[in-house]
Amino acid sequence: MSTIAQEFSKGLLKENPTFRLLLGMCPTLAVSISAINGLGMGVSALFVLLCSNIVIAALRNLIPSKVRIPAYILIIATFVTIVDMVLNAFTPDLHKALGIFIPLIVVNCIILGRAEAFARKNNIVRSIIDALGMGIGFTLALTILGIIRELFGKGSIFGFGVMGTAFEPMGILATAPGAFITLGIMLGFVNFMFKRLRIE
Amino acid sequence: MRDALRMALTLLIIGAICGGLLSVVNGITAPMIADRENQQFLQALEGFFPDVVKFEVQEINGEEFYSCYDAAGKFIGVVGKVKASGYGGEISYDLAVSDAGDIIGIRISSHGETPGIGDVITKPAFQDRVIGLNFADPISAGVDVDTVSGATVSSSGMINSIRRVMNVVGENFLGMEVEKAAIDLTKIADGTYTGTARGFKSDVTVEVVVSGGKITSLEIVSHDDTPGISDNAVKGMPQRIIDAQSLEVDVVSGASMTSQGIINAVFNALK
Repeated sequence: MSTIAQEFSKGLLKENPTFRLLLGMCPTLAVSISAINGLGMGVSALFVLLCSNIVIAALRNLIPSKVRIPAYILIIATFVTIVDMVLNAFTPDLHKALGIFIPLIVVNCIILGRAEAFARKNNIVRSIIDALGMGIGFTLALTILGIIRELFGKGSIFGFGVMGTAFEPMGILATAPGAFITLGIMLGFVNFMFKRLRIE
Repeated sequence: MRDALRMALTLLIIGAICGGLLSVVNGITAPMIADRENQQFLQALEGFFPDVVKFEVQEINGEEFYSCYDAAGKFIGVVGKVKASGYGGEISYDLAVSDAGDIIGIRISSHGETPGIGDVITKPAFQDRVIGLNFADPISAGVDVDTVSGATVSSSGMINSIRRVMNVVGENFLGMEVEKAAIDLTKIADGTYTGTARGFKSDVTVEVVVSGGKITSLEIVSHDDTPGISDNAVKGMPQRIIDAQSLEVDVVSGASMTSQGIINAVFNALK
């Protein structure tokens, strides 16, 4: 049994869903266009992951295993819809920017993956720690990608211009190919660091 | 058996709880969302008509139209809260038309068009093509108003919808007659007439025989619209027009663009 600290940190580093497990790539590539989008998507997914992990861990002995997947999807979809409605009511701009990727959190493999691999076998406290670790790891990864793409693609961070007027933005980084390029470079960097530091 | 019952019951209970939870959250957020959308609309309305002090709402065919008046009580224009069909489903937009029949502005309030492709309809690149057009101008996708290449479905959906809305606005608010209704068959000399108009993706040519103030025969001479989809329009529309002795007929659903093309072609033949 790993300690609480290990449980938490595995989502950030060793098993970072984006950089190590390569889960949930579709929203990662699509919304990491700016730092605020990445952060918003990450926090939304974190919220859904936290709620679904809690509920699924709490009900883990009550849900018959044959219908566990539909039950998980129901629970996850409910929280996603709540996030969708709340974002639409309170932060319409962010809601507009994230668009279809909010409803698609339902089928984000990180969330169903954690429910299936972790929450249904562990108690509520450990599931919360797991959700926080994984969710924050996902949020961090998306925000880092967003910062890189926004910085070089638009010359700003979180909407604030930092590169000055002489900077010529690299437009490609703000487009879909730029997402693949940035992700590829980040994956290479992370792999290199892990090898270097012998974390494996 | 007991297993199956337990599974069904579990899902039922979870579903019921989830549904209840959602309806509570929706109850809180839905009024806020509606409120904000209404405010955005009013802001847009003031943007279109800075002089507006009063407006009246009227519903026509399920769409709301806001007649705007200035401080002196003079009618200055109308804003329609209307819908078009695009590539990704319904596009909701506001169309502002001045009292002279000019398109003053467009605001897309919600759409499901592809980001980076179809969402050009929200940008000046597309909107500038229609802003400034008058009720009297021919507005026809791909003929009078260019569609945006790469986003043909989105832009032609918008253009066709704008033509429709302009007709509604012209008829109901500006006291203008929509030409189609104005064809008077009794005044047309006997003979055979041909006319052409744009269908879905090709020009539709029709041959109309008028005798004794009546359309006695209507034939689609040529068209190149999608086989299988346009067929029903090609088969059905002539009889509808002959039966009604008018161009005010319903289009064939599923082939509305071809149907409208046939109607327009008959109009062009007889005008």
